Amino acid sequence: MNFSELKKRTYSYLGFRSVARNAETDAIIEDCIEELKKLSHFRYIYKFFEAPPQFLSAQPYTDYLAGSKGVIIAVMTLGGEVDRRIKFYERTDAAKSVVLDACASAYLEELSDDYEKGLGLKLSYRFCPGYGGSSVSDLKYIFGILNPEKTGITLSENNYMLPSKSMAGIIAVGNSSQKSCESCTVFGHCEYRKEGNRCYGSVKK
Amino acid sequence: MLRLGEEVIIFDGGLGSEIEKLGLNGIPEELNVTHPEEIKKIHRSYSCADCIMTNTFGLNKIKYKGKYSIKELALKAVENARSAGKKVFYDIGPTGAMLKPLGTLSFDEAYEAFAEVVEYTKDAVDGYIIETFSDLYEMKACVLAVKEHTDKPVFATMTFDGTGRTLTGSTPEIVANTLEGLGVDALGVNCSLGPKELEDIVKRFLACTSAPVMVQPNRGLPQLKDGKTVYTLAAEEFDAYIGKFIEMGVSVAGGCCGTTPEFIKSISRYSGRKVNRPDVVKSTVVNSATRAVAIDGVKICGERLNPTGKKKLKEALLEGNFDYLVDEAVAQQEAGADVLDLNVGLPQIDEASAMVEAVTRIQEYVDVPLQIDSSDPLAIERGVRYYNGIPLINSVNGNDEVMDKIFPVAKKYGAVVLGLTMDKNGVPKTAEERFEIAKRIISRAESYGIPRHKIMIDTLVLTASAEQKLVAETVKALRLVRTLGVKTALGVSNVSFGLPNRGLLNKTFLAMAMTCGLNMPIMNPLDGEMSGAVKAFAVLSGEDEHSKNYIETYKDFTATVTAVKTTKVENITVADLYDCIKKGIKNQAIELCGKELEKSDAMTVVNDILIKALKEVGREYDEGKLFLPQLVSSAEAAKNAFSVIGERLPKGEAKKGKVVLATVKGDVHDIGKNIVKVVLESYGYEVIDLGKDTPSEKVVQAYVEHLPLAVGLSALMTNTVKGMEETVHALKKSGCSCPIFVGGAVLNETIAKQIGADYYTKDALGFVKTLEKISVKR
Repeated sequence: MNFSELKKRTYSYLGFRSVARNAETDAIIEDCIEELKKLSHFRYIYKFFEAPPQFLSAQPYTDYLAGSKGVIIAVMTLGGEVDRRIKFYERTDAAKSVVLDACASAYLEELSDDYEKGLGLKLSYRFCPGYGGSSVSDLKYIFGILNPEKTGITLSENNYMLPSKSMAGIIAVGNSSQKSCESCTVFGHCEYRKEGNRCYGSVKK
Repeated sequence: MLRLGEEVIIFDGGLGSEIEKLGLNGIPEELNVTHPEEIKKIHRSYSCADCIMTNTFGLNKIKYKGKYSIKELALKAVENARSAGKKVFYDIGPTGAMLKPLGTLSFDEAYEAFAEVVEYTKDAVDGYIIETFSDLYEMKACVLAVKEHTDKPVFATMTFDGTGRTLTGSTPEIVANTLEGLGVDALGVNCSLGPKELEDIVKRFLACTSAPVMVQPNRGLPQLKDGKTVYTLAAEEFDAYIGKFIEMGVSVAGGCCGTTPEFIKSISRYSGRKVNRPDVVKSTVVNSATRAVAIDGVKICGERLNPTGKKKLKEALLEGNFDYLVDEAVAQQEAGADVLDLNVGLPQIDEASAMVEAVTRIQEYVDVPLQIDSSDPLAIERGVRYYNGIPLINSVNGNDEVMDKIFPVAKKYGAVVLGLTMDKNGVPKTAEERFEIAKRIISRAESYGIPRHKIMIDTLVLTASAEQKLVAETVKALRLVRTLGVKTALGVSNVSFGLPNRGLLNKTFLAMAMTCGLNMPIMNPLDGEMSGAVKAFAVLSGEDEHSKNYIETYKDFTATVTAVKTTKVENITVADLYDCIKKGIKNQAIELCGKELEKSDAMTVVNDILIKALKEVGREYDEGKLFLPQLVSSAEAAKNAFSVIGERLPKGEAKKGKVVLATVKGDVHDIGKNIVKVVLESYGYEVIDLGKDTPSEKVVQAYVEHLPLAVGLSALMTNTVKGMEETVHALKKSGCSCPIFVGGAVLNETIAKQIGADYYTKDALGFVKTLEKISVKR
């Protein structure tokens, strides 16, 4: 795993700007990473489709999948113990609880990236229902396809997955769609962007 | 007849993949009605097995939302499975929803959903197979639902990952202890992985339970080949692993995802083979969902969750302030307790419901197993039922009436019972008499089918000041009782009652008792001297090999420090309270605040130090020099300082006023709300925290009861903003005149206005600043 990327992501989720890292937070993040190694039960469930499933035949999915040779539908999680630990720290060390929450999100992203690299395919980024004006409720199609309930990942009526450190992804195979600010769920009211910062490139140059 | 545990029983294989092969789409359970012939054909293709599982995995009212009645689908599914001419096991899968505390589904709702299908099918089937569960709590709800509605056999298997844990963190040992305790007929693992990857998990199951073990592996791990996910394991290889598992002692085998009739046909040759199970030595084990504690050596049971003689805990229980109990529990776990005693008995409260609330709240945060302590059998039953794992029960005694009430509960839920060596005539004086009572307790337990390893004996400590000669009897009784092959417990600190320097007596007595075979002192784990004595004893008795644990604890020891384990060594030096708040060093805040209070009055400390420091922290946060973790650390430090100040001021003057906070109905994301809470508390506000997934009525009720300065609502998801809007409307309708704040990832000024809220703030600091401004205006 790329630990420097993991740290960078954690800092960014915590709202830190690039210059302001500090030794104390660094130490907490290190602690959190060690805990995550023990607490996380990473699972990555996916299916490959040459022809995209029906629900992907609408915008913005068609744009994202344009020119691809297939699509991977995936769900991934760190498991429930991480959630419990975050709760525990709420009582004993609230700052650590906040850092662990952010660090766990970053950890899941990194583990998923690594897993996808291991598939040996040319893959685009994980496009998730909710991006680019798509509806979060499309998650139900992904759950219908993968049945991740069998490993304990659940989807609530209100479209959030539990354990909370779980994600879903639609991944184009063979094209190189890039993640952009415009496709992000918080585009339009992103505090980070308002300050002139960017997580991703912009499609509108 | 199936001779479970004596002869190998073979179950069928994958159903989903066979359905797919026939080109059938749609909800699998509906196929029982729409395509019965195809489903029967699949079942018949598995007639080489001894037992057929019905096509009902997702058929419960929480998961299934189709157009057929559950009863019709369930009975049709049984009829279809009958066509294979073999025993029919009704298949129950999980609800697909997450139970509280992680999710919003209650234990009782899950129970109801499972009970419904059992009620429909109990006369039509030969048994139940509960499978592919990931959450031990949901599994417990399901096992109880089945067993409370039928006497038919119940097999139960869970799914694990490569590290040997379920997705919610339970190990095979934890699963086995819990399920065997609940009295299932066979237990084990299904789905998850291929047989090769399951070998270690199977081994672990066989080593820790004497219940028949069941295994239904997948057809290996799916592989991506030429752009397709395929199972590649051959039937012969699968068969070889199953053969190995059976040699190891497995009683029931079958296949899960990817396995076909070919696989089951092959392993059906093992059917009827004699099961070879080496005897398993059972130890006394209690467990939560994620931690198993074997009561061997010396294990500490924390005594602080018992209102007797604890004024603050009494107050908390009377006010329904379960947060206080959670904090006490967390502190004891942090201090190294292995088990926590929980007693909520006060004459003014409904003990049974308080016990349920305490158990569910505490197990959300703490993973050391609980000891359910009450003199009310109903409170014990409720506590044990809603406990996610196998708890201890405190207690029974030699009185038959008590045993006859408690032992059935212990037997049903698999709990370990603490027996006190006293009876109707009180505590006998001599060790021998107490030993006799212990024997009576054990033998009566056995008559209820409770094995010896599920019993612990407390030989009872009397105070040295009143009954000096009897102290030796207690210790002698320990020795005698240990010869019965049971573990022992003592409430050690009773010994010193009424004498000076109690700590010294307690510690000395503890050492005496441990030498004579005490396994579980019930004591204050936050007392560093006592906890230290347990650690030292582990070195001297040889239990702590190479003194590893001891050295780990005391490697930085200097003679002046006797504190218990601290999680983090604070190396940062702080000049004064102001500096301490700014740097967010919460461990020093209390002491430094105490020093300031020696010099100045409370309000001066608040205004000239705390508020100033917090303002400075807030300014730096706004300027992008400090970030969330530092803000939270400072807030926690200030909160600690306020707790000292609060003690100096008359009740009511300490706090600025109340704020009600809640994450709205349907939403379980509460970290944002919790940050707001810490920051508000750091400014001296009293927060009424209603938690997550809060119905609007509960918010209204809290408003009416507390008349707060403000109500703060949080929602993370677009869909749950609806719940927020409903809550805002309900509040306004009830005449709420205080400002309503909203926040959360999907909110902004516009949405806040649309739903009728008064303020949107983007973060916790924004909330407190706005609130301060409004309060000044008022």
